[in-house]
Amino acid sequence: MKKNKAGNLSPVAVIILVLLPIVIAVVALSIGRISYPVSDIVKAVASKLGGESVSQQLEVVVWNIRLPRVLLALLAGAGLSAAGVAFQSLFANPLATPDTLGVASGTSFGAALAILMGFSLVGVQLTALVLGIVAVSVTWLCASGKGKALSMVVLSGIMIGSLFNSLVSLVKFTADTESQLPAITYWLMGSLSGAGYDSLALGAPPIIAGIFVLFLLRWKLNVLPLSDDEAKSMGVNIKALRIVTVLCATVITASCVSMCGQVGWVGLLIPHICRMAFGTNHRAVLPASISLGSAFMVVVDTIARSVSAAEIPISILTAIIGAPFFIVLMRKRGGFRI
Amino acid sequence: MILEIKNASFGYGKNTILDNISLTAEKGDLIAILGPNGAGKTTLIRCMLGFLKWTKGESMLDGENINSISARKLWSVVSYVPQAKSFTSAATVLETVLLGRISTLSMFSQPKQKDIDICMQRLSELGISHLAEKRCNEISGGELQMVLICRAIVSDPQVIVLDEPESNLDFKNQLIVLNTLSELSKSGVTCIFNTHYPEHALRLSNKALLLKKRDGYIFGETSKVVTEENIEKAFGVKAVIASVETKESTLRSITALRLSDNEEDPISPDEERLAIISIIASDYSKGELINDYLHEAGKYLIGRMGMPYRKDKVNIINVTLKAPYSEIESLVTRLCTLDGVSVKATYAKKEGSF
Repeated sequence: MKKNKAGNLSPVAVIILVLLPIVIAVVALSIGRISYPVSDIVKAVASKLGGESVSQQLEVVVWNIRLPRVLLALLAGAGLSAAGVAFQSLFANPLATPDTLGVASGTSFGAALAILMGFSLVGVQLTALVLGIVAVSVTWLCASGKGKALSMVVLSGIMIGSLFNSLVSLVKFTADTESQLPAITYWLMGSLSGAGYDSLALGAPPIIAGIFVLFLLRWKLNVLPLSDDEAKSMGVNIKALRIVTVLCATVITASCVSMCGQVGWVGLLIPHICRMAFGTNHRAVLPASISLGSAFMVVVDTIARSVSAAEIPISILTAIIGAPFFIVLMRKRGGFRI
Repeated sequence: MILEIKNASFGYGKNTILDNISLTAEKGDLIAILGPNGAGKTTLIRCMLGFLKWTKGESMLDGENINSISARKLWSVVSYVPQAKSFTSAATVLETVLLGRISTLSMFSQPKQKDIDICMQRLSELGISHLAEKRCNEISGGELQMVLICRAIVSDPQVIVLDEPESNLDFKNQLIVLNTLSELSKSGVTCIFNTHYPEHALRLSNKALLLKKRDGYIFGETSKVVTEENIEKAFGVKAVIASVETKESTLRSITALRLSDNEEDPISPDEERLAIISIIASDYSKGELINDYLHEAGKYLIGRMGMPYRKDKVNIINVTLKAPYSEIESLVTRLCTLDGVSVKATYAKKEGSF
């Protein structure tokens, strides 16, 4: 097949990328403590949409237990990957991750604090979300001094990140070692087990909105790694573009982390894989990252909840599965540049 | 479309870099900005385009202050080509060129097939369509420069501003870039470019702006701006402008002789020196031109001897002259530029030198 011009995705790639997360999600719904054939899952979904009714057990397992979790995995994977792409493009640095500006650290601090205060699950999520955004705002303010270079934003991001990380340690230090400390520790390791429709109702809209805006801007993201003068001379309001990108990526990351804790790696791994596979054009890389990110997350979460009786924290799995896969790919393709 | 700089100054704090500069670029003008390192050539371009704010004065496009024109409107008529050496993207050539279309599209839109077609057409006009799918970090410097120029013209601008478009390029690529600029200006696009090479200004620009080493500048017709005298003032280099004849045209070349205010060099350009210039011409037909040049220096000549050496088919000419040092060097340089002519000057020792 002739290579598609201007780095856009070919129609075949688009079909694959759209179907992949859906197929994987349906399969994931069928896997668990009780296994169902895929046809039962389709029936269960059909029954909600007005088809014939299914057994109550199947309905409860699929609709109340597994579906919110799979939805959260889809959203978190897509969101963290999209945010990773945005940050890497913004800083023209392949090592940038969703946490570069201190979002995840701030969010973690918020969650830890809320657990210490004994807030409800939704309360924890809300506190985490707010503090994540606070952390990025502080980073942005710190960097807006003399000079205003992007490298200053990265530096203050690292500072604010470690500041909030030590605040998390402080919270852990003061927490009750019997109940609160394990809760905080498990939360920080990341888990999608808290998924429910109420937490999704709070966390999903910011993620979806952020992804949507980034998706619309995907071509313009190509301008971000250019030098200031060059970007301006493209006729783009580079300042506005940067702020919108940071805002979207921050809101997405804070929402994801507030729902499922610190899930490392996805925001670094998936964009890298997509860049190796599809080149540097964000018209291809962003949609591909959204699709592969969500599919990857569903796979990892399904493994996390089904290989052993006790759930494995998800950030452990993302690294164990992701790192070897990434290294093989990197050796084969020779890495990439932005 | 007229681009103007009106009495503009720029500096950091008390340190003024550009002082009271005025410039007018009309449709089809090809303007060279010359000056030594650190004179503020790039700063001038950055201020002119609004990347930096003038501390005094303003840039105007058709009488409107450039800072008050919306970004999209401004950059759909003006294009900027940065120095290629600072460009490190790994995007493909076509993707890079396509970015030049952004100013013609709205915020959330994606490039259409039409935009791709325009880019491909421009690439083939510049003779680089074969590069379309190559990555920008895998092509040569000359090719990359052409890609950046292509990116600048896909929006059909009326003014193009280029920052040292031909530096870091070899002979051939320099010519390709310079010819491209010539053709752009012939098609009615105003081109303004920074250059380290006064020769390139002489070669193609109709106007030149020469920033002097310390302060001040000269702006006007290139032939009046790029002169031996002005080059010495601006660069602190004693140079000779000579004509090189080719079958198609006469080109002017500039040869730097030496630093003009080099304290270690005891020779002053006006000092009278006694010298013998030895010439071997392997081409008999150059005899007349040599004679013309010698005739111009006639008033300095003391003695002259010429004879053909038929065995090797050469003419040998020896002239003795007493003239200001700069005159001797200028004569030597002009003779050097002739095809098949070898020249050497031997100076008489000065009193007290060894």
